[in-house]
Amino acid sequence: MRVALLTEGGFPYARGESALWCDRLLRGLEGHEFGVYALSRGPRQEAAGWRELPRNVVRVRTAPLWGPGPGPGPGSDGGAVSYGRRERRRFAEHFTALAEAVCAGEAEDGGEGPAAEEAGVRQSTAQADRFAAGLYGLAELASERGGLAPALRSEFAVRILESACRAPGALRAAHAAQVADLLAVTERLERALRPLSLDWYGARGEDPGLSAADLCHAVGGGLAALPGLLAARAYGVPLLITEYGVRLREHYLASAAGAVAPRSAGAPVRALLASFQGRLTREAYAQAQLITPGNAHARRWQERCGAHPGRLRTVYPGMDAAPFEAVGERAAPAGPSGGPWRSAAPTLVWVGRGEPSKDLVALLHAFARVREAVPEARLRIVETGAGAAAEGPGGAADYGAHCRALAARMFPCAASDALSGGQGPVSFEELGSPAAPTLAEAYGSGEVVVLSSVVEGFPVPLVEAMFCGRATVSTDVGAVCEVIGGTGLVVPPRNPRALADACVALLRDPARCALLGAAARSRALELFTVEQNTEAFRGIYLELMSHRSVRADGGAGGAVAAPGGEDASLPFACPAEAHVPGRWAGTARRVAAVATGGRRAGTGTRPPRTPADAHGGALPPVPSWATPERASDGAPAGRPAGRTTEPVPGDASGSPSGGSGGGAGRDSEAGPRRSGSAGRHGVVGGHESAGRHEGAGDEESASVTVGADMGEAEAR
Amino acid sequence: MTAHHGPADPVCELLYQHRELCERAVDPLEIAAVLEARGVTDRTAARFKHRDVFSLAEELYARVPHTGPGAVGGVTLTADGGQVAAAEKPRAVALGHRPRPAPAALLPLLPGALCGSTLGVLALVRDTPSYARFAVAAVGAVAVCAGVRMALRALPLPKPLVLCACWLFAYALFGDWLLGELLGGGPDIPSATPVALPHGVPLTLALAFAPALWCARGFSHAALRGLTGSRSLEEFAAAVRPLLAAAVALFAGFLLALQWAVEACTRALGRSGAVGGPAPTASAATTCLALLLFAALLLTAHGFGGVASAGLATACAGEAGALMCVLAARLPGLDVLGRPVERGVALLGTPAVPLVACGCAALGLLAYACTALTRASAHHREAAPT
Repeated sequence: MRVALLTEGGFPYARGESALWCDRLLRGLEGHEFGVYALSRGPRQEAAGWRELPRNVVRVRTAPLWGPGPGPGPGSDGGAVSYGRRERRRFAEHFTALAEAVCAGEAEDGGEGPAAEEAGVRQSTAQADRFAAGLYGLAELASERGGLAPALRSEFAVRILESACRAPGALRAAHAAQVADLLAVTERLERALRPLSLDWYGARGEDPGLSAADLCHAVGGGLAALPGLLAARAYGVPLLITEYGVRLREHYLASAAGAVAPRSAGAPVRALLASFQGRLTREAYAQAQLITPGNAHARRWQERCGAHPGRLRTVYPGMDAAPFEAVGERAAPAGPSGGPWRSAAPTLVWVGRGEPSKDLVALLHAFARVREAVPEARLRIVETGAGAAAEGPGGAADYGAHCRALAARMFPCAASDALSGGQGPVSFEELGSPAAPTLAEAYGSGEVVVLSSVVEGFPVPLVEAMFCGRATVSTDVGAVCEVIGGTGLVVPPRNPRALADACVALLRDPARCALLGAAARSRALELFTVEQNTEAFRGIYLELMSHRSVRADGGAGGAVAAPGGEDASLPFACPAEAHVPGRWAGTARRVAAVATGGRRAGTGTRPPRTPADAHGGALPPVPSWATPERASDGAPAGRPAGRTTEPVPGDASGSPSGGSGGGAGRDSEAGPRRSGSAGRHGVVGGHESAGRHEGAGDEESASVTVGADMGEAEAR
Repeated sequence: MTAHHGPADPVCELLYQHRELCERAVDPLEIAAVLEARGVTDRTAARFKHRDVFSLAEELYARVPHTGPGAVGGVTLTADGGQVAAAEKPRAVALGHRPRPAPAALLPLLPGALCGSTLGVLALVRDTPSYARFAVAAVGAVAVCAGVRMALRALPLPKPLVLCACWLFAYALFGDWLLGELLGGGPDIPSATPVALPHGVPLTLALAFAPALWCARGFSHAALRGLTGSRSLEEFAAAVRPLLAAAVALFAGFLLALQWAVEACTRALGRSGAVGGPAPTASAATTCLALLLFAALLLTAHGFGGVASAGLATACAGEAGALMCVLAARLPGLDVLGRPVERGVALLGTPAVPLVACGCAALGLLAYACTALTRASAHHREAAPT
């Protein structure tokens, strides 16, 4: 199936967050076709370039959320020039709704009790509806008439925002907004709403874009989900939101950090932007079919921001277990007596970046206590990413130096011995040095791995230590508890005494250490591998697709499906496999878009990828899978039987869907080749059309499409 | 509430620790996010008898005095206003103009200096052959143009604007002579050369460039200051309107003083100030032209380059139209066309044409500026002359 991956400051850019995860997901889900729709955050990100794209990425489109927008300059009379009277009125109506919802404060709790609460809930629901109405109204206007950006930057928009701020019931901070604040807010809103006027939706451009996608997978709940919201609204494309760090929370953190910066935005600006982000996030959570938080912490935030608990499904981020395989295997049979890998002295290991949030000072104090109980104990501090820290703002490097100085004071022999051969109890090493060449070796060199952070999101070092089969002592921060889940000791943060006691307990009891390590390793291999993550998303994709076929085709395909005696609302009336792309299913490819009522079918102009696709494009825009003859003799009906009865023997994953996915890909080996070359032609056409589009000055979105055989070209 | 403020109240301590955060926060969720980043977990929140960090943050948000429910709007306003003013000030400066070194500050004077020296050289080489004088004049003109471009290097100048400005300059130099020749039945192409150019006009315009730029900059600065200070768009517009009037009036004053000075100089050097008409009309025409260019500069600097170009183009069309009418009047039966120009010239001399054309266009542009430049969005971001 065709999945649209929506990112903001993310995947195709080398300097993107969650880029590694996206890369692994795309490579893991070979059978699906991905289109990447990326919003970039700044010139530095764009300058850093892209990652190498997996072969199943057929299309990459990017648009900047920064810099001067398209259209005439900021001072010009944009709204009045490009919009006629009617458009102006529509714009005013929708932008007023949006601005009022953004400016509206939380329900004033006038009284106690359920009645007041209910009134508050009703009011906030009404505001959310207004926000959604304004947002989709603006999107509709943008898709029909364009020119949204100049209108949003015009004086007209500022005036609307001003009146919304002055309205009764608006946020207190909004009441205090000055003209400069209003201007700053409109500018930021214009940037944030740029996805509304992109040509990603297949309505204006020739490229069907998101309208042809079977699923929108948004990485992040904020602006990344905005294109997905519009596609869901206009074409019924299901939306899946994956958040490893909650975008709204990151926005708040950045906003709070900005409040003390010298060139900060005023409180009204921060309040209004936070309100906008909050409303957008709520809307995204409300419209998403499924939300996958990365851990319970993210899940709590999402629930707090209005996500329905029934639609939340935690999918732990996956990490590559292979580098830790050898050390973990060695650890497993070692048993209580210890193996050859053990060093002479009982050793604690800490791995991470030397940052204040890691609280190395507490670790050193705790280690002093450990030495009182176990005099021969040693502590290895292995710093990763020291080079990056040195380049950075300097805080990390300063902290590292501070900790070294502290260690030298606390353990006086350490300073001299660290150079001469590591005889001292505390050693600072950098990853890649001879003492700690790899992460696995670093973890393997100690009995107990310690994590002393006071702040932690998803604790990567902890999972790595679990992969290595090491017993761990960690502080109760972030997602530590749910990650460790009883296979390690957890102590309160900022408590050196508790940390020391736990370390001593483990150091004195190697048998317990080994048991905990083995349990931790099996837990990590069960929950935190890349394969687990990928398989979870494979299942979620198929599940969403099966839901979608029932929901989306109920209106359009109902009449067609009736002759066969099938009720369109029957579950599994249309199996998920009906949506596999053309290069799998041959002639059974679905026609891109459903043409009903006001929807536009982008199928006729879609660049032909396979002969079957070209044929499908010429058909009248009726969902192809809904016609009886296709349902009876087409591949979609035949495929499931073949899939379930012919598991591929060589597949290691053992999962039926995964195995058959790979098998189907191998079965039609000739198909992808053909379709690959055909795809390149179609792709070039799409690129040209996008170029023309840019030439017309319509959008500032660069469009690059990547053929399926790009990897071959690079190999040559 | 009072019971909570006792020494036994644990939240009070937390409030004290994160006082600044709570005062600046715009939302309980912001407090929650930062508290979590500072290491407060749900377990910590349980110590404060809260279910999670969110409800703890809500209490903190509600208990901070100036954002709490007890505060009236006025308190909030003054506190916020003060903060904003303090925070926005460096931004406004940064957005408007960086403090520039002395040579850059003197750059606007360059065209005037170049023009003056060119005229001086021309006066010195008065007895040399005409092609040498022509070469000197051409070099001087190019140098003046380069100086103007350099002083305005940060301003995106639309091409039509530049072309129209060049035409207006050319007309200011040769237009009166040409019109006089046309009215007199000429010109005799091979032999006719402009006898005496109005030297004062280019000098005045080149010298007026510096005050124009300074006035425009001052206006932008003052408007940016007003932007941070005013609470509503109407208030801002009301504050900017007198600023605009003051800028235009100041420039007009500069211009008149310059004209008087140039007149005095040329008279002292023994040349007549104006050629082809009575001096008041000519100087009025120059004033109108300078005001027109000033209005165009103001509008272009604030992102209305298209309107400015249109204004200049109108003036150009007026002047060209007058010349065309005079020519067309020579055709049989079309002498009606030339009559208004003839009558105007008879009344005010040849500068009547640029006076009317530039004056009308300048009035139009200034009227437009009155509405356009009092909008807040015109003064946002990089929309200021540099």
